[in-house]
Amino acid sequence: MNIKYITPFIDAVEGAFDQLFALQPKALTPYLVRKEEILDWDISAIIGIAGEARGLVVLSFPAALAQELTGLLTGTVKTNLDDDVTDTVGELVNIIAGNAKKGLEEFRLLISLPSIVQGQNHQVTWPTGPVPIITIPFSTVRGHFSLSVGLENIITV
Amino acid sequence: MRILIVDDSRIMRNIVKNTLKRLHFSDDSFLEACDGQQAWTLLEAEEVTLLLLDWNMPNLNGIDLLKRLRSHPKYSALPIIMVTSEAAKYNVIEAVKAGVNDYLVKPVTERSLEEKIRRVLERKPS
Repeated sequence: MNIKYITPFIDAVEGAFDQLFALQPKALTPYLVRKEEILDWDISAIIGIAGEARGLVVLSFPAALAQELTGLLTGTVKTNLDDDVTDTVGELVNIIAGNAKKGLEEFRLLISLPSIVQGQNHQVTWPTGPVPIITIPFSTVRGHFSLSVGLENIITV
Repeated sequence: MRILIVDDSRIMRNIVKNTLKRLHFSDDSFLEACDGQQAWTLLEAEEVTLLLLDWNMPNLNGIDLLKRLRSHPKYSALPIIMVTSEAAKYNVIEAVKAGVNDYLVKPVTERSLEEKIRRVLERKPS
């Protein structure tokens, strides 16, 4: 697996979590996603990538962690996946994708606005064709989450 | 002093606002817009001293609003700081070419935001 271009995404996750939540997530072993896979998460934020490579970035959380992180930003207790939670998760994936571009400057990339998918065991429509999707699981003291990245002809296995 | 915060994320607008409040900006210092179009409408109606502008937004994005503002005589000298997740050098260069006064990559820290605002307002022609 060519992880050279995964590193900017891991760095972006670590930077964003440290800065916004004073959390230091630990990246676990990345793995290749099976595209028919049903995600074992409650909420995902998705950003499309265009320009010199096509791809996407997906950030997925269990509801409890997404609510807790939102609570840290708003100073309120969140008990469901309300607008503040979707806003937080969407903005997080936007920060991660935008920050990761710094480590991918040899390619001119455009990022889309985030979209949100939620519901237990939801499914993401991955790009068709031979674009491998790599998932990096992260652990924090407050729970687990994952970041999945696919970048045509850049991230290869 | 009126600061217009333009960001499609309400959470981010609140983070910026709370940071500025800690820097002793009062509650009535802020105006908010959730996209470039709403910001344009607000700018026509209100007196604004400084614009904090996100890049990726629906309807009218930050870079297109910046270009529109700089081509309009009324806003050609309005201090504008881009506050965005877009961290690539080519994005910074594009924004500078379009006329932004300074550029700040999210997530913002209190110190960096204060420094950028101070620097931009000091350079503002009187």
